Amino acid sequence: MHKVTFKFENSEDVTVFAAFGESLLEVARKTNVAIDAPCGGNGACGKCKVKLMGGTLDSKKTSHISDEEYAAGWRLACISKIIDDVEVLVPDIASAYKSRMKMADLSSAEEVKIFEELKEQIAEVGIELKNNLEVIDVTMSAPTLDDTMPDNERFSWAVEEVTGMDKIRVPYSVIKKMAHVFRASDFHVKAVIRKTGKDVFVYDVLPASEEPVVAGIAIDIGTTSVSAIIIDMLNGAVLAKGSAGNGQIRYGADVINRIIESGKPGGREKLQDAIIKETLNPLILNMCASAKIKPAQVYRLAIGANTTMNHLLMGVDADPVRMEPYIPTFFKTNSLFASDIGLKVNPDAHIILAPNIGSYVGGDITAGAFVSMIWNKPEFSIFIDLGTNGEIVFGNSDFMMSCACSAGPAFEGGDISCGMRATDGAIEAIKLDKETLEPTYSVIGDPGTKPVGLCGSGIIDMIAELFRCGVINPKGQIIREGRRIRRDEFGMGSYIIAFEEEAGSVKDVELTEADIDSFIRAKGAIFSAIRTMLSYCDFDISMIENVYVAGGIGSGINMGNAIEIGMFPDIPVEMYHYLGNTSLAGAYAMLYSTEAERKVYEIAQNMTYIELSNVPTYMDEFVAACFVPHTDKSLFPSIQ
Amino acid sequence: MAFTAKSGKFSASINSVEVGCGDKKIVLGGENVLPFYTFDAPVENAPKVGVEITDSGLENEPECVKKYYEGCETVADMAKRAASFEGVDFLSFRMDGGDPNGANKSTEELIAMLKEIVAAVDLPLVVCGCKHAEKDAELLAKAAEAVDGKNALILAAKEENYKQVGAAAGLAYKQVVGAESAVDINLAKQLNVLLTQLGVDGKSIVMNVGSAAAGYGFEYAVSTMDRVKAAALAQGDVTLQMPIITPVASEAWGVKEAMASEADMPEWGDQEERGIDMEVETAAAVLASGSDAVILKHPVSIKTISTMIKELM
Repeated sequence: MHKVTFKFENSEDVTVFAAFGESLLEVARKTNVAIDAPCGGNGACGKCKVKLMGGTLDSKKTSHISDEEYAAGWRLACISKIIDDVEVLVPDIASAYKSRMKMADLSSAEEVKIFEELKEQIAEVGIELKNNLEVIDVTMSAPTLDDTMPDNERFSWAVEEVTGMDKIRVPYSVIKKMAHVFRASDFHVKAVIRKTGKDVFVYDVLPASEEPVVAGIAIDIGTTSVSAIIIDMLNGAVLAKGSAGNGQIRYGADVINRIIESGKPGGREKLQDAIIKETLNPLILNMCASAKIKPAQVYRLAIGANTTMNHLLMGVDADPVRMEPYIPTFFKTNSLFASDIGLKVNPDAHIILAPNIGSYVGGDITAGAFVSMIWNKPEFSIFIDLGTNGEIVFGNSDFMMSCACSAGPAFEGGDISCGMRATDGAIEAIKLDKETLEPTYSVIGDPGTKPVGLCGSGIIDMIAELFRCGVINPKGQIIREGRRIRRDEFGMGSYIIAFEEEAGSVKDVELTEADIDSFIRAKGAIFSAIRTMLSYCDFDISMIENVYVAGGIGSGINMGNAIEIGMFPDIPVEMYHYLGNTSLAGAYAMLYSTEAERKVYEIAQNMTYIELSNVPTYMDEFVAACFVPHTDKSLFPSIQ
Repeated sequence: MAFTAKSGKFSASINSVEVGCGDKKIVLGGENVLPFYTFDAPVENAPKVGVEITDSGLENEPECVKKYYEGCETVADMAKRAASFEGVDFLSFRMDGGDPNGANKSTEELIAMLKEIVAAVDLPLVVCGCKHAEKDAELLAKAAEAVDGKNALILAAKEENYKQVGAAAGLAYKQVVGAESAVDINLAKQLNVLLTQLGVDGKSIVMNVGSAAAGYGFEYAVSTMDRVKAAALAQGDVTLQMPIITPVASEAWGVKEAMASEADMPEWGDQEERGIDMEVETAAAVLASGSDAVILKHPVSIKTISTMIKELM
């Protein structure tokens, strides 16, 4: 056995013992040390770079590591074998995907604005902002030797009185605490109930003197990241907001790799644990602490997630999603409760899943389409969700079409050597000086935060600026030289945004030709999907009045830049609207408003799904779009 | 009422690109109709036929081709002989031996050979690389220098080396630049855009949009040519109006129909006849799909295709 010590830039060392010949990446995974390996660990992506500080590793040099880097101790974790006691430094960028769970500061108006605006919009379209959770006062006469009715019957009878319903369901969790609560409060209690047309379900009983909190949680489970809010179910106020990386990421960066991993023995359990035990439960616990409520006071959850994510969340076999003819286990399910999958909230809490409409268009999109409100407008709009899978919805109040394209994880920083989620240390906007090529950028985080990597919006800016300054040609190859341009021994060029001394990590922040190529493919996938879908419906881009863009790629996208690199169609920037995380916003709407929940089901039923792989011209459109801005320049008349 | 045929000529046309100099120079392209649609509008420049020799001399040639070069000692001798075959419009010299994964001949050795050929013949020249992008970057740049003043076609710049090859051939020595892409209309177009952005005149680019022997994924090659011509003529896409040259010999003579001996495949009949058939069929098909020039190897194929072109014009 050999001793392996993982060192970090900003946290304590982790020490573990490993057998001779074990892969360093495997050891890290077993120890829950986060090292990003989007390619699944076969030396292809070069993201799992770690620095050897002591001892020896059996590790080959690859094209991802230059001679100087190798000499300085940089190794790829996935192809390194343990042959000795070692100490390795895991740089921030390699563990950035897990990047410390983050609680949002709700004192800033920005964080809650989207939900407040959404509430207004929902009210405007005439949807009632109300759910069926409520708190009732229940007063019972205390039992005596003459009045010997047991607590449960006594309580049910009293609830019947208050609600006028004759079917009262009292779960085990309430029965268990009843005797104590009733006697402590002199049989005068408050009850948290759900009242439907058929029955009343009692979630909780509390002494009448206490002011109960009726909380709900809305969650967006993305392939790469997860974000959530806790709300007060009675008035819709946001109580806490948090985000984290999806713990499943170590099993692959995209849905296909996850499904493959889940098919291995014990795989489904591993992936379910990664999302529930490692990601959601800690996130919920942190949010509850920050909102000062008990997890048991969370009585309902709503989740927006893509088809694969909600299958893996439920521990359902996701393989049929991947295999022809691509049939998921469910589009919609309403029989899922927190205790079924081990979520640490009230065990009887109902989980609302935004409905799927295809193998690759999931609940995140139906929830998002609701938020975009395109279903309520007579003019034609496009809704685009930029995630690991790019999804597009097109239509108006009469019809809606949807499709998905595989954009890869580039928008969320995956597949990009210095890419990261839009969190502290991420460059989210950048400009270059045309002469000197010196950059000016803004970094997410407190003032003075040093850059660690680039998030999606930063990469869009970067590529647009490099193109504008003539640093890259339309194929994304670097054609200028300068202080910030470097070429490795294999001739691959890169632009250095921040040298090691300017950066907040132990590495330069740079964008390589390979990164640019990955991103051009991602933007090409989005653009060609839009073109293919419109031409499939015999529509033209000039008929579009609004484009709604969603996704957690940064606090905002520079739409002009996105058009300039050929990611979005060349229509006036005023027609573009950035909506932020619509999957979360949609989940919020479903959680808070029962009528909105019904509306989302209705939207899902009325949406037609187009499988792009069945459209013969798609591949052609894709190749044509893998060029900056596009092979057919006439599509971008405004760009010189 | 009498039937009046409507002319199918387009308002756009393929660029006319001169290759070579002096009396023997040829013009590729120029047409504003579909291939051989002379009934729609006259086609000024008939498609051209080239003969291919390589730096390995007779060593790698099929037996049936060797006999036509009997008595040739050097590659320059072969070039002279090839130039005399009936129907030959230009000479193509392929420097296969430069491939680092093959014979890995030095650039100097190959360029010296090229210079001998330049001195030996006055036909327009097409200079082909070794298909290894990195080596070609150096080899074709030197070749462009070696044929200075000859207005040769340098075949070809690819996405990986277009800067070096394009700059040397197109900018420094004003040769005609070949642009090679892999059977995809968009990739063909992208390379033309990159070359013109580099400063190469679009009117001195000739495309090789990819090729295959008939029956070997050939439909991809044909459909790419069809679509390139449709975009160039019907949609007036200036970035695709470059003439197309298609190397046929290197594809057709490498497939089993041409290589299997009669002893191995008695039921297939005479080997030489089969090889010629493959070459002729492939060439005829790519010409019908829009190629403005083909490169062949066997004197009989060259004569047959050249006759076919004459008959159809």
